[in-house]
Amino acid sequence: MISKRRFGALVAAGAALAAATVVAACGGGGGVGGADTSGITVAKGGPASGSVLISNWPGYVDPGANGTVAQFDQQTGLKTTYKEDVNDNNTFFNKLKPELDQGSSGGRSLFVVTDWMAKRMYELGYLQQINHADLPTVFQNILPQFEKSTEDPGRKYSIPWQGGQTGIWVDTSKAPEIHSVADLFNPKYKGKVTMLTEMTDTVPLVLQSMGKDPDTATKDDWLAAIDKLKAARDSGQIRQFTGNDYTEDLTSGNIVAALGWSGDGSLIGNPNAEWRRPTDGCDLFFDQAVIPVGAPNTPAAYAFLNFVYTPANAAKITDYVQYVTPVNGVRPILQKEDPKVANDPKIFPTEQEIAPCSADPLPAGGPQDVADVEAAFQEVVSG
Amino acid sequence: MSEKQRSTKALGRRLIPYGLLAPGAIWLIVFFLIPLYFMGEMSLRSGIPNTPQGFTFSWEFSNYTDALAGRGPQIVRTFEYAGAATIIALLIAYPLAYAIALKVHPRWRLPLLFAVIAPFFTTYLIRTVAWETILADDSPIVSILKSLQIIPNDGRLLATSGAVIAGLTYNFLPFMILPIYASLERVDTSLIEAGKDLYASARQAFLKVTLPLTMPGVIAGVLLTFIPASGDYINAEFLGGANNTMIGNKIQSTYLEQSDYPKAAALSFLMMAVVLTIVFIYIRAAGTEAFVGSEEEAR
Repeated sequence: MISKRRFGALVAAGAALAAATVVAACGGGGGVGGADTSGITVAKGGPASGSVLISNWPGYVDPGANGTVAQFDQQTGLKTTYKEDVNDNNTFFNKLKPELDQGSSGGRSLFVVTDWMAKRMYELGYLQQINHADLPTVFQNILPQFEKSTEDPGRKYSIPWQGGQTGIWVDTSKAPEIHSVADLFNPKYKGKVTMLTEMTDTVPLVLQSMGKDPDTATKDDWLAAIDKLKAARDSGQIRQFTGNDYTEDLTSGNIVAALGWSGDGSLIGNPNAEWRRPTDGCDLFFDQAVIPVGAPNTPAAYAFLNFVYTPANAAKITDYVQYVTPVNGVRPILQKEDPKVANDPKIFPTEQEIAPCSADPLPAGGPQDVADVEAAFQEVVSG
Repeated sequence: MSEKQRSTKALGRRLIPYGLLAPGAIWLIVFFLIPLYFMGEMSLRSGIPNTPQGFTFSWEFSNYTDALAGRGPQIVRTFEYAGAATIIALLIAYPLAYAIALKVHPRWRLPLLFAVIAPFFTTYLIRTVAWETILADDSPIVSILKSLQIIPNDGRLLATSGAVIAGLTYNFLPFMILPIYASLERVDTSLIEAGKDLYASARQAFLKVTLPLTMPGVIAGVLLTFIPASGDYINAEFLGGANNTMIGNKIQSTYLEQSDYPKAAALSFLMMAVVLTIVFIYIRAAGTEAFVGSEEEAR
């Protein structure tokens, strides 16, 4: 059901690469690549009407005839076009960037990206601020632990959509003794292990396995972790860096363990596959709903967020998506309707469990440092 | 017809070739030359990715040296894979096209050609992903190869260079078969018979008559396979492992993951230059006549 990242990303990547040069021709002539952060506006509220375009990751809501989007339209009289065209944070960003530079969002009034990308977009002036008064249901129901955010302390521009944990998927019939990220480097599993192409998932977990806290790690720590990955790649220990498609490798028995996302269980057709929170680390990412510059229908964006933060509607989403919900009151509803989901610690982790988790942080330092680390990581993944 | 009408008509006739060229030329200018210019301009900019300042034009030639630094093994690998795929495709395609064009009963030609292009009815991406299943570690093919000792017991097919080359070969094979078939189909069989009448053996007749007559097809097929294969990144992405990436993968990730547009543009330019050089040398060696076909052969 959840098919985040990668597959569609490749299709989009091809299209974006083809479009890139044309786009450069249209918009890139001026020499300035970003917007001005001083001109950030607050998204306008008020009664919602008309039509609205929302972009999200695939499988992040039930878009069917009786699904969340359809019910939203029914209840509000709005006409929502819901596009599942976010497959990869960076790819989505780079595809949209030329339009954002011109102050347009390609017609989108709301989209969902991971915390660090939301922060990057905000700092580049691509997002509007959110007026809390227009989101009464959201702030009434948001769970306190998810209202907090290291990236966006005052919830100025981002509202949590769904979250999940990055950890280890293990084929218990073949490698029951893998419990930590460090175990993935055991030569016994040479060529039978994959890691993720998303830097902010893979590197923080490796850092933690090396005894470093990703939130305080220095640039050199990051580069040391990347060196460790490079050595493991060169030796053939790491078979591949993947997006979602590690689920296929687990299904067809190509690998015995993989770094992967907690909500991907429905994609893995292997009864022996089990998700484990690493004993040497923890990563909790949250995807954030944001309102971009040039959003044509901001009242509708607010209305949609209020709608999905109503516990009954949020429960429906969680039941379908099986990721971590930021909405209070979902668990009691599911305990009645779907106890299996309600009692799944991957979907409802305790506060103690997630307290030590890092949250997909970017490397320390300024933009040049981040770019250096990103380049070093990509050199391992695609060099 | 007045003098004036006649001259307008003559002028119109002289303009016809330009009119015929215009759609293609406009297309090339708008979608190739102009973007190429901006890509060249982008490749000389400098700046830090993901900052409000973006990239500014500064004749930053070091983008080119930076893009190449440490990239040697990957460049060699790229052309090894593309070259191997081209040669294997040629070895498969020529006998196949020969059989379809000259050996089978004519009524079988259409179904066989249809079989050649049938894979195109499925998208490129889906076909490549399907190969992941075919080559998976527990697949029947791998078990058979293991029992025949062709690959070692702890070996695998997926996520190896062999899988990437096989995928490239498969995906571009029709581009090799069709031009060769087209030139074989045009071969005047009486020329082959004439060769045999002059005491040429079947082998000699093939080498002295058939092969030279079909060289334009072979050369077109080689170019149509090699050029896209060397720029490909889908096969390496899905069928290759972490150590089997090609230049295409690097360009893709530099642009879309790192947002480092100048370096991605510089690397694309370098890639284009290398491919152009190889193609140029190849055409020179093969002779332009073989490439476009001489008057005689065209008939």
